[in-house]
Amino acid sequence: MSTHAQAPAALPITKAAAEKKYPAKMPRQGNANAYRTIVIGLLAIAVLAPVGLIIYQSFLTAAFFSPRAAFGFDAYRYVFTDKNFYKALGTTAVFSFGMVGIAVPLGGLLAFLITRTDIKAKRLLEILVLVPMFISSIVLAFGYTVSVGPTGFVSLFVRDLVGVVPWNIYSLPGMILIAGLSHVPHVYLYVSSAMRNLPSDLEEAARTTGASIWQVSRDVTLPMVLPSLIFAAALNILLGFETFGIPLVLGDPNGIMVLTTYIYKLTTLFGTPTYQLMAVVAVVLILITLPLVWMQRKLLRNARKYAAMGGKGARVATLKLGKSGQIIALSIIGCWLFVSVVLPIGGITVRAFVDAWGEGVNLWDQLTFANFDRMLEVPSLVRGVINTVLLAVVGGALAVGIYLLVGLAGHRNWGTSNTVLDYIVLLPRALPGLVVGLAFFWVFLFVPFLTPLRPTLVSLFVAYVVVGLSYGLRLLQGTLIQVAPELEESARTTGATIGRTWKDVVIPIIRPGLAGAWALIMIIFLREYATGVYLMGAGTEVIGSLMVSLLQTGAMNTIAALSLISIVLTGAGLALALRLGARIHD
Amino acid sequence: MTELVVNNVQKWLGGLQILKGASFTAQRGSIVALLGASGSGKTTLLRCVAGLEQPEIGQIVIGGKTVLDGEKKLALPPEQRNIGLVFQSYALWPHRTVKENVGYGLKLRNVSQADIERRVQAILDRMGLGHLADRFPSQLSGGQQQRVAICRALVYEPRVLLLDEPLSNLDAKLREEARYWIRKLILDLEICAILVTHDQSEALAAADNILLLQDGRIVQQGGPQEIYSNPNSFYSADFLGANNIVKAKVKAVDGKAAVIGGDNWSLNGTVRESSGLNAAEDARAVIRVEQISVTDSPAADGLEMNLDDSIYLGDRWEYRLRRGDFVAKAHGTKQLTSGKVWARIPADSVWVFSAGTQQ
Repeated sequence: MSTHAQAPAALPITKAAAEKKYPAKMPRQGNANAYRTIVIGLLAIAVLAPVGLIIYQSFLTAAFFSPRAAFGFDAYRYVFTDKNFYKALGTTAVFSFGMVGIAVPLGGLLAFLITRTDIKAKRLLEILVLVPMFISSIVLAFGYTVSVGPTGFVSLFVRDLVGVVPWNIYSLPGMILIAGLSHVPHVYLYVSSAMRNLPSDLEEAARTTGASIWQVSRDVTLPMVLPSLIFAAALNILLGFETFGIPLVLGDPNGIMVLTTYIYKLTTLFGTPTYQLMAVVAVVLILITLPLVWMQRKLLRNARKYAAMGGKGARVATLKLGKSGQIIALSIIGCWLFVSVVLPIGGITVRAFVDAWGEGVNLWDQLTFANFDRMLEVPSLVRGVINTVLLAVVGGALAVGIYLLVGLAGHRNWGTSNTVLDYIVLLPRALPGLVVGLAFFWVFLFVPFLTPLRPTLVSLFVAYVVVGLSYGLRLLQGTLIQVAPELEESARTTGATIGRTWKDVVIPIIRPGLAGAWALIMIIFLREYATGVYLMGAGTEVIGSLMVSLLQTGAMNTIAALSLISIVLTGAGLALALRLGARIHD
Repeated sequence: MTELVVNNVQKWLGGLQILKGASFTAQRGSIVALLGASGSGKTTLLRCVAGLEQPEIGQIVIGGKTVLDGEKKLALPPEQRNIGLVFQSYALWPHRTVKENVGYGLKLRNVSQADIERRVQAILDRMGLGHLADRFPSQLSGGQQQRVAICRALVYEPRVLLLDEPLSNLDAKLREEARYWIRKLILDLEICAILVTHDQSEALAAADNILLLQDGRIVQQGGPQEIYSNPNSFYSADFLGANNIVKAKVKAVDGKAAVIGGDNWSLNGTVRESSGLNAAEDARAVIRVEQISVTDSPAADGLEMNLDDSIYLGDRWEYRLRRGDFVAKAHGTKQLTSGKVWARIPADSVWVFSAGTQQ
């Protein structure tokens, strides 16, 4: 909006006087207000209904459909006097902060090496570094089990050499280490984009006054990217509170519980589902995560302000590492990649093709396709793979369509509905996938005309759309905002209504961005495992949720086969995303 | 025939009033220029006419149809105003060819495909763009893009054509050509055009009527000659032309005639301040550079001044003159030797305004 308003030092006027001076705004006509209100209203229902149902359920004494259900605080009383709950809460906190303690310094270091130095193979590393982010954490956790678990391939190899396995991943430190390493990409993503925006003349200025590379990094670069580091830390604490796969696979065998696994275990604790207790823990979880989301939002605004102070499109002169520097830097990244990518994925790959292993067993003799053959014989597993692909490819496309409709409703919107939209989008970020799935499971039980849809993929799709909402919408909004306002305004002055403008100008221009968003949403949907846990039934199996339920039975062969399929599908999705030019670095 | 009536348009932005009651009318077959420095509200006023900004107060009537009425809370969206707008950045749709860009307005008006083809080709041919119809905007030069943008805004014969700094992205030579043919085109087609510009020569050369804006207000309006040679305020006088600004004291006032002076000099001038001036008051005088003629031979009606330097500008010489605290620039055709010269400054070209506080 170029209104050339160069504000002179505004005279301080009292609020009452300002209101008197300022006439009422004219209603904006032809701005698709009805459309915006309806879309944002529907979205509000889709997000608020499940949350409302959880809160409602938490104040009942039995499942909401049970005739015995009455209002009461029994569930809260039970949970708040349960020792295990406090233990889980404490463990969750230690887990989250420990994870941040590993992920943030390492992610910051990787970001520095890859964006600010002349490290070799930069383009390849930029993609490789992000890989752990795209793999579902239950697959990763399983990968660690089969490679460095008590009887994992690597563990056995090491035991042959030194006589003992010097580590135990089925422990809180083990969980923290693995979660920390696998969350490095989340830190890297934010810190590297902040570092890219740093004008290098600031660093050069410090160099010319006589500071060494390391002094410059410490005194100039670090303070400048501090806001993004803090933001990444806040994000990871949130992710830590919501994490489910790693504690389920690695913590559960030794009885280490976090809040999400506590909810999950409540189902089996009493033999019958205790919905009211699950609801209470979900409410507690939301009460912890919502302020975190809120804080993150404030931090992000500050970080943007900070970044805006730097020059735009600043030329980045890289620091020369020198020969020994290159070797050190590449080994750091190599080590990290080995531990967080090669170990789990390699483990799964080997495990998927062997049936038996152990001391003295030659793996080459055991190579077999039996795991996959057996999988093909079980209809639910085959359906799971097909459903996963369907949900990711078709559901992903539909979801992008929905995010586009929502994005347009918020596009150049000045009304109060935009503020509403802003807040609605925050909510799903505070909801772990497990809770969203649970809530939608209840919604589909609770609302009579939706009940027939529960055993279909529709129920999963709706839950997935809500889970992916904040990420997907951010992708779409980022694309929409790139359409120069004059391109839309010129369509309006030429005679097009706002709807025609969207159809004829905005959407055709952002089409490449839509394709990229589709690929990224596809990956998100492929890796999702927690959302489907409660919605799973005959016909709604997906790979991730099948793995969660198979873990209870210990069918390792099948899990390995499913994991490998999941990794291959994710790899295909990632390749497609890169091919479509998706902006992973936003 | 009056095509556009703008009456008392006021607009606030975040508690700051950026339009403070602008009123003007525009006729068919004429060009009105909105001229002003950046921040004067000229683009905002144009966008209010287009319906892209919503003023809080005021009326706007386009082609007899009320499109904005603050009292009735009526504000038609841009697409119902029957206008054409040419953007500074041209805003051509990158995913459409030239033909599709230009034909879009006709398509929206449900013109048949055959008619669209014919009318688009006709206007492109007229602008010398006929051979580029199937190109994409990115394949065109800046000047071609600008002509396509004008075609797009004109092809459906809007009641009012709005041009937002249409020439500022062209290089200097193209700009002079463009302002000539845009004026010719608008007069030929007999449409009503509003031209926003910060470039005084563009406004003077292209417009029939100039509205000079300052700080959200129209401070003066009139024909190009009127506004150039008869400014009603220091701002108007200073904004147009190349000027010498002289700080002085009023020595004597007699009706419109005044004598101003400073350290060891005095000049006869004309009082231009609408509220008049008093003797001994601080004043500022505006003298257009071209009004001062300099000779190196003594002249009885000239002010004896010291020539500090002559600067060669190619087509003329610039003289740097001084006498006491009176410093001035003037132009001439030949190089003069530094030293004593005489400057003739007609009394009616020395426009005396009060020293003011804010300007």
